[in-house]
Amino acid sequence: MRFAVVLLAGLVVLTPARSEEDKKSRLPQAPEAKGVPIVPPAWKSAPKKLASPAEIDALLLASQKADQLPTAPLASDDLFLRRLTLDLTGKLPTARELSAFLSDSDPNKRAKAIDKLLRSDEFARYQARRWRDILLSKSTNNQGFVRFPREQALEVWLTEAFQNNKSWAAIATELITSDGMLSTAAPREQGHAALLLAHAQQDGPVERTNDISRVFLGINISCAQCHDHPDDIWKRQQFHEMAAFLGKLGERVRLDRESTPPKFEVSLQTRPFGDYRMPDLENPRRGTPVTPRFLLDGSTLSRFSSDKDRRKALATKITDKNNYYFAAAFANRVWGQLLGQAFVDVEGMGPLNPPVYGEVLLRLADSFRVSDYDIRGLYRLILNTQAYQRATRMGEAPTDHVRFSGSYPNRLSADALYAALAQVIGTPAGPGMGGRYGGGFGGGFSGRFGLASLAGQIRDLFAYDLSSKPEDVEGSVPQALLLMNNPQINAQIRATGNTPLAKILREHPDNTKAIEAVYLHTLGRKPTAHETKVSLEHLASLRNRGAAFEDLMWALINSAEFRTRR
Amino acid sequence: MLFYDHLNVTGDGQVSRRGFLASSAAAGLGLTGLLKTQAEELKKRGLSVILLFMNGAPSQFETFDPKPGTSTGGETKAIQTAVPGIEIAEFWPKTAEQMKEIALIRSLTGREGNHQRAQYLMHTAYAPSGSVKYPSFGSVIAKELGDSQFDLPHYVSIGGRPAAGAGFLGQQYAPYAVADPNRMPLNSELPRGLTPEVLKRRLALIGKLEQEFAEAGGEALVADHRALNEAAARMATSPHLKAFDLSQEKASVREAYGRTPLGQGCLLARRLVEVGVTFVQVSHGNWDTHTNNYEGHKRLSAVVDPGLASLIRELKERGRLDKTLVIWMGEFGRTPRINGQAGRDHYPRAFNAALAGGGIKGGQVIGATNATGTDVSKRPVTVPDLFCTIYEALGIHPRRQNQGNGRPIRLVEGGSAVKELFA
Repeated sequence: MRFAVVLLAGLVVLTPARSEEDKKSRLPQAPEAKGVPIVPPAWKSAPKKLASPAEIDALLLASQKADQLPTAPLASDDLFLRRLTLDLTGKLPTARELSAFLSDSDPNKRAKAIDKLLRSDEFARYQARRWRDILLSKSTNNQGFVRFPREQALEVWLTEAFQNNKSWAAIATELITSDGMLSTAAPREQGHAALLLAHAQQDGPVERTNDISRVFLGINISCAQCHDHPDDIWKRQQFHEMAAFLGKLGERVRLDRESTPPKFEVSLQTRPFGDYRMPDLENPRRGTPVTPRFLLDGSTLSRFSSDKDRRKALATKITDKNNYYFAAAFANRVWGQLLGQAFVDVEGMGPLNPPVYGEVLLRLADSFRVSDYDIRGLYRLILNTQAYQRATRMGEAPTDHVRFSGSYPNRLSADALYAALAQVIGTPAGPGMGGRYGGGFGGGFSGRFGLASLAGQIRDLFAYDLSSKPEDVEGSVPQALLLMNNPQINAQIRATGNTPLAKILREHPDNTKAIEAVYLHTLGRKPTAHETKVSLEHLASLRNRGAAFEDLMWALINSAEFRTRR
Repeated sequence: MLFYDHLNVTGDGQVSRRGFLASSAAAGLGLTGLLKTQAEELKKRGLSVILLFMNGAPSQFETFDPKPGTSTGGETKAIQTAVPGIEIAEFWPKTAEQMKEIALIRSLTGREGNHQRAQYLMHTAYAPSGSVKYPSFGSVIAKELGDSQFDLPHYVSIGGRPAAGAGFLGQQYAPYAVADPNRMPLNSELPRGLTPEVLKRRLALIGKLEQEFAEAGGEALVADHRALNEAAARMATSPHLKAFDLSQEKASVREAYGRTPLGQGCLLARRLVEVGVTFVQVSHGNWDTHTNNYEGHKRLSAVVDPGLASLIRELKERGRLDKTLVIWMGEFGRTPRINGQAGRDHYPRAFNAALAGGGIKGGQVIGATNATGTDVSKRPVTVPDLFCTIYEALGIHPRRQNQGNGRPIRLVEGGSAVKELFA
């Protein structure tokens, strides 16, 4: 890639007029595909058995040992519970949950806590909000009347799916084959139509191809829309052959002015005429018809098949148990969410981008397919590994991959950060946050920005693309300003009145106890000996108990750890 | 004079080699050296941009290309301006007085007639894409021209978040949103009880408390976080912050701009560029007048006219106009045909924009539409042409590339600057 960059830059600045031939050769060429296995050869001989946490740990440790990579010790119980609760429900554990967990002497208490949270409604709701954002993160059709029902309906639909532990294959199939409709009059219904209705019109087939590939295969083939993929083996032709599976799908918008308020409906429809064409490079208005052909195995479908048949065939090929990428993409994403770093970019899989410790990913994917794509089962498997339960580890550079030698810290999602903050300052968090465009119908320009509420401000400033690499997620000055200066937060951390801090100080006349309570309340863990010592010194230097504790509480909210799951 | 007028960029993005090599050889610099020197020089020049963006698409007939007495002109009359021969719609009397500073483009032409897509296009020079998050030109210009030591944001957006943010350029160049120009921005000031001394004490306490987390594997995270906290503290305690406080202006000045969010936004924009903010956007609208277009434009223009005119006049009086490029535009135009509800619909085929300051030669009109305004009849200006013009006016090469999503992406693909605009 770097080579291509330099080459392009050079040409643009220095070359005089070029011939058509030059123009074509200027486009990147995909690397040679011959002899490159698309699927890891070990996939065929995988054991096709459920894996145990111990087996995954043994496999991982063997590779880490071979690399002479020392692993971090297991995280303390309080850090473990904070991490687990944040990962599964997007919230901090309450002080009560934490003390119950810490005083439990059952050697199986971690497994018990995992099971309890996996069965909770909050798990289903939080994962639904995450997946809503992942599925819609690349939407190009964002008119108010579409995005308003789309986000709500998808969240409702996903929540139900996760509550019922619907298999990942069933979820994928329903999203790909939906013939549903989104309506402003029934904004919580038919969420299965949301993924395909993230795009419309001329963008439809290609952007839907991008979405389905990145979400269900973990493969980003968007580059290949215009030219061969420069870093992987995908050719431009292959992109458009995949797009042909979606080439007969269109959508229809209906405005019903008679109803009050006027009702907008957008529904998925077969295009009445015309076949999908791969656009000509020189004249995009011309194009050649292409046969639907599946990227991974080259299997085809007749050019004369219907829209329904095309999408059904695509869903079948994607969820096929022989399809390594379907199982591996999901396992990789969940592993990345839980360990902090994935085996490979969650949307950057492919033959030429090998994962770190691919044998572990392969075994997880194998177990996932054998379980019939049991989502909770996969979470349970990973959460019970020692790998998940280790202490924090980062490399010398923040971008270093720590190869799962410890838990790599991540920024909290906007959703989780708001829940944590609401809990800390004693404001009920409500049922969770809306999506990126949560302003609501008719919000348009002003609705999206009338961000008076703390929840609205946090959503606006802290939301990030959940598919990005953790090291690519940046903090910002407005984020820091909010936590630092927000009047509501500052009023709620006073040492007087009826604030959570005032209550803690009344309840704990002993400063060491009060410091512990502030840590449990704010960070969901106990302070270390060092932190207690620093806090006590601060108290002594200030000689004003209230002011010193306000400083402490403020400092913890404005610490790196507060916005981090570690 | 253009900053790199020795570079002759053609419509295809080629650079004429002879002029380029001659000048770089004369300077004794290699290509990289030359570009680097230019980048540093540019930042020192203190240039800025104020964009007034009219969301919803204003009508060219009711703004700067009236067609009175024709089948498409509607009720709108034309008025004289300070420049003999240039007439604009009756709703813009104050702007008419400033016409010597203003250049109108009456021949803008495009194909995108969907608000959301066209707004994105008019902010990024690219159509929306699922795979590349293109930066708004405000973010690009903030990056190219902003002084990295400056303690306020480089890009401030008043009255709404723009249709595109910093995209792949990163948070540092993201628009800083100011919802209401009459109040200090949310969370910008230290709250009651948090004095600069207490803030300093608390930041020091964080440093001590986090030492252990830093040593236990979180060092990079803690360092990054500390830098952001420090930048936030610098901003919250900066003397420049009072630029956001419009109560420091005389009542007569505030009146002149109009006591509207747009009017006060224009005044705030002037104050912000004066202290060193690189790009200020003031958004207004909804200009989407599918019904009662005449009345709608009368009402909306009455808000923007005093804001735009006072902004140009004050920048001129205060000696800042040469260094500040003022842009007025929307995402497309409106139909020549007046529909059954006395409205005009979407029309990207022919629309207009106004530029002033920043080395733009005022008192002129670029291009023209035909008698009924159905088509561009002279000197068409495409959206890429417009962006090339804006960048070149600021000395930024429109073919500059940024790394976006793993591949180099030019600021503008295609198009060429409207050189007639440059003084």
